[in-house]
Amino acid sequence: MTTLVTASGLTKKYGDLVAVDGISFEIREGECFGFLGPNGAGKTTTVRMIHCVSPVTSGTLTVGGLPSGIGNRALKMMTGVIPQEINLDNDLTVHENLVVFARFFDIGRREARVRIAELLRFVELEAKVGSKISELSTGMKRRLLIARALVNRPRLIVADEPTTGLDPQARHLIWQRLRQLKTQGTTLVLTTQYMEEAQQLCDRIVVMYQGKILKEGTPSKLVEEEIGREVVEVRIPQEDDERVLRHLAAFPCAHERVGDTLYFYCRDGHGLMRRLLELDLPNTLNRPATLEDVFLKLTGRSLHE
Amino acid sequence: MSLSYRIAYVFLRNLYSYKRFIVPTFLVSLVEPLFYLITFGVGMGAYMGAFGGKPYLHFLVPGVLASAVMMSSSFECLYGTYIKIVHEKVYDSLIATPVSADEAVAGDIAWGSFRGLVSGTLMMSVALLMGVAPASPVRLALLLVFMVFIGVLFGSLAMIVTSVAPSFDFFSYYTELVITPMLFFSGVFFPLDNFPPWMKTLAEFLPLTHAVRISRAVFTGEPAAGLGWSFAGLIVLTAVIFTISIRMMRKRLIK
Repeated sequence: MTTLVTASGLTKKYGDLVAVDGISFEIREGECFGFLGPNGAGKTTTVRMIHCVSPVTSGTLTVGGLPSGIGNRALKMMTGVIPQEINLDNDLTVHENLVVFARFFDIGRREARVRIAELLRFVELEAKVGSKISELSTGMKRRLLIARALVNRPRLIVADEPTTGLDPQARHLIWQRLRQLKTQGTTLVLTTQYMEEAQQLCDRIVVMYQGKILKEGTPSKLVEEEIGREVVEVRIPQEDDERVLRHLAAFPCAHERVGDTLYFYCRDGHGLMRRLLELDLPNTLNRPATLEDVFLKLTGRSLHE
Repeated sequence: MSLSYRIAYVFLRNLYSYKRFIVPTFLVSLVEPLFYLITFGVGMGAYMGAFGGKPYLHFLVPGVLASAVMMSSSFECLYGTYIKIVHEKVYDSLIATPVSADEAVAGDIAWGSFRGLVSGTLMMSVALLMGVAPASPVRLALLLVFMVFIGVLFGSLAMIVTSVAPSFDFFSYYTELVITPMLFFSGVFFPLDNFPPWMKTLAEFLPLTHAVRISRAVFTGEPAAGLGWSFAGLIVLTAVIFTISIRMMRKRLIK
């Protein structure tokens, strides 16, 4: 697979604040690449540099071999952006939103009409073609943002938290559409705080924190490496920790105390559970390890505000 | 500066959006000239007798034409643009497309100028119905072109204010401290001849003074002193203000 996006020592500063701190990564053509991280990690800033609306402070960033930059119309021509904030044009109808956007990309009237009909079908909004934006639900607005991002038939799609604020039905529909685009060969760059979303969509992810990349890999590999296969949660008072740990000494497990819970990260969760049952503890849970465990382990459990 | 034919796309976007507001804006644009022309022109004019050999209304119309364009283009590039940046996020989605920030701003200035032209044209229509007409049809056409020009000037000037505005309230400083005084010190309603010298000098620094002088000369066909300088000055000023407004807006839009 060829590389579409290459970043090396990519840095973004706003005055004294370093939003992105010398990160390097490669995104391959046709894959879905995810940026994970808490609020303020630098995900959005990074993708804004990729789709050429924010200038790079230092380091290099190329897309399709071309240096990314504010004035690079060729890159903007081949990129579709699904923004975090719903910035549809409220003065315009659903159809007009797409018509105007098609013009921005130099798409002729007749061609635009064909593509818009096709796209509205794709995001299941044919019935809303003449509606005002204010008449749409949040899910419909998000779908329209996807249609709008596709109007120029982009080679690269940048989706910045595309399912924020959606109910499960709406979210799954959007995931399906994004996966469908990927099977058609479109490269997808995604930022998200939802671990399930990353697991559902991404071939590879990076975990960002405070402007830096902490880890990179496939979701399953990261879980395996960082956490193991299973997690056992034991909700007991902290003073009982020693007793429980002594009892489980035979198991090669990492453990961590967070708030009211003692976590065990291990390969043999069943064995650990069996042994735990001997203690007859009231509140224990054995579950598969997830990306969320990786995320919390890497970026810490304190609030990011 | 990165300007191209794409300015027209931004203008087109505004035209689509305008469809929904066309009736209310036409009404407002009609009420304002009627207000000026009837109260000042007919009401006050009745006490003023002949004004340079003609009724006062003939003096008033070309001045009010210029000020109407100023008002409309300014308000569009203050409130209209601010809403598009801060509330509607239209600019955010625009600059992610091949349309540049410069083109987005230039397109909005062109739009402000168009709104000025609409107001000026409505004003002119009312004046024509009241029997006040430019000296010839050619002069009428020239006036329309001139309106577009001063629309760009005042639209760009307003754009500079918008580029630094932290909130809506900020615009009151500009409208109350710059626009409104300009309306009264630029010879729109009465000639500047009887002002004390320092006020006359001050008036020469107001762009509207020159716009009104040119508008009146084109309208009546009577040449005025310093007309060439007024025109040259406005062209240079417009070029400078336009360039500054694009630069400052770029700073606001690209981060």
